[in-house]
Amino acid sequence: MASSAAPSQKALSKIACKRLQKELVEWQMSPPTGFKHKVTDNLQRWIIEVIGAPGTLYANETYQLQVDFPEHYPMESPQVIFLPPAPLHPHIYSNGHICLDILYDSWSPAMTVSSICISILSMLSSSTEKQRPTDNDRYVKNCKNGRSPKETRWWFHDDKV
Amino acid sequence: MQNENDTVKDDAELAASISATQEKEWGCCSVQEPSFQEEEAAKVPYLGDKEPLSSLAAEYQAGSPILLEKIKILDSQYVAIRRTRGDGNCFFRSFMFSYLEHILESQDGAEVDRIKVNVEKCRKALQNLGYTDFTFEDFFALFLEQLDDILQGGEESISYDELVNRSRDQSVSDYIVMFFRFVTAGEIRTRAEFFEPFITGLSNTTVDQFCKTSVEPMGEESDHIHITALSDALGVAIRVVYLDRSSCDTGGVTVNHHDFVPVGTNDEKKEASAAAPFITLLYRPGHYDILYPKPSCKVLDNVEK
Repeated sequence: MASSAAPSQKALSKIACKRLQKELVEWQMSPPTGFKHKVTDNLQRWIIEVIGAPGTLYANETYQLQVDFPEHYPMESPQVIFLPPAPLHPHIYSNGHICLDILYDSWSPAMTVSSICISILSMLSSSTEKQRPTDNDRYVKNCKNGRSPKETRWWFHDDKV
Repeated sequence: MQNENDTVKDDAELAASISATQEKEWGCCSVQEPSFQEEEAAKVPYLGDKEPLSSLAAEYQAGSPILLEKIKILDSQYVAIRRTRGDGNCFFRSFMFSYLEHILESQDGAEVDRIKVNVEKCRKALQNLGYTDFTFEDFFALFLEQLDDILQGGEESISYDELVNRSRDQSVSDYIVMFFRFVTAGEIRTRAEFFEPFITGLSNTTVDQFCKTSVEPMGEESDHIHITALSDALGVAIRVVYLDRSSCDTGGVTVNHHDFVPVGTNDEKKEASAAAPFITLLYRPGHYDILYPKPSCKVLDNVEK
């Protein structure tokens, strides 16, 4: 099912808050390799630094992910986008939106911020070409009024990249 | 484990009012409006009220005589149907309500003690599989809390109306559905060798991929694999009654059902529970609702075991 809800401006529910605190502790004890959480006092928005894996097209490049958690996290997926400049990648739009199934239809509460990060890094690492998605211009134009990527109905077609 | 009734998938009549299957198409992305079916599904509450079987017949008034004939048979065996929303979670939600309702009505403390032992086994299984505790513990806690609330005598014991309300409240209902999804995925992964051939036959994916894409995300529809795994993991038998257009070779119309009896049920217990599982679901292609048997009437056995 598509999650069509806009990212909620509502505060985190009690259960979401509890869960995120646990995730944060876990992250601090064992952060996924290649990622750094920039500590702020905002539990609802995480800014995470990604360093391209050695030996890949993005080696030594640093990007920033912005993760916004909805009121009913983890029942609802977080909104994950790259802050500008977004890496050049066939599944990453110039506005930072990422075409990755686990961020939308295939999200499950069994996943965590860590597991999302690992999937995104693996997506970057397996890229063989630094280029934008073919429909980049059309899509980004459609998003001009601040549409969340979670309002997009995504089609996922490519497991290789 | 395959559905022997060989359901007719493109049967528009049966599929009407039932949830949508999502098409995955070629292309990286596209922007679309929510589908008609999704909007329709959202109008139905997570869990409806009890309705007489005549409300089911009304859906098929101009429809297949076989279906109407079958509904007539159901009407003689079942007193009511309770519908669930066709949002892909209908099997788990039907199971949830049916089970908790049974506990509320029977006040069967021994059954609650028994299932709690199984729930703890499921927790250990997930830990052994490498799931992080915090991903599932809130869901487990909420289910156990419902069991305690429902057994009368405790300070917080709840009424029938409260159980219905909770089952319609997203913040409880969806969490319990997700609890069942964890339990189901844990069982499938733990007994991967057993489930693998069925999964390969159904979707041509690995056990891991199947759990990640068809069990763990909310809204993913359930198949016989999910039902078998949940029934085994929790040790709860489930009867599924099939309403479809299939008919017997002999020409007579009968309504088939299948009992999912948990593995490890010994013969003695089997005999005791063989009469009828206390959970009965009605399956129409793509959707599950809850059925209530008539207390006085023994269901005619067309059991396929």
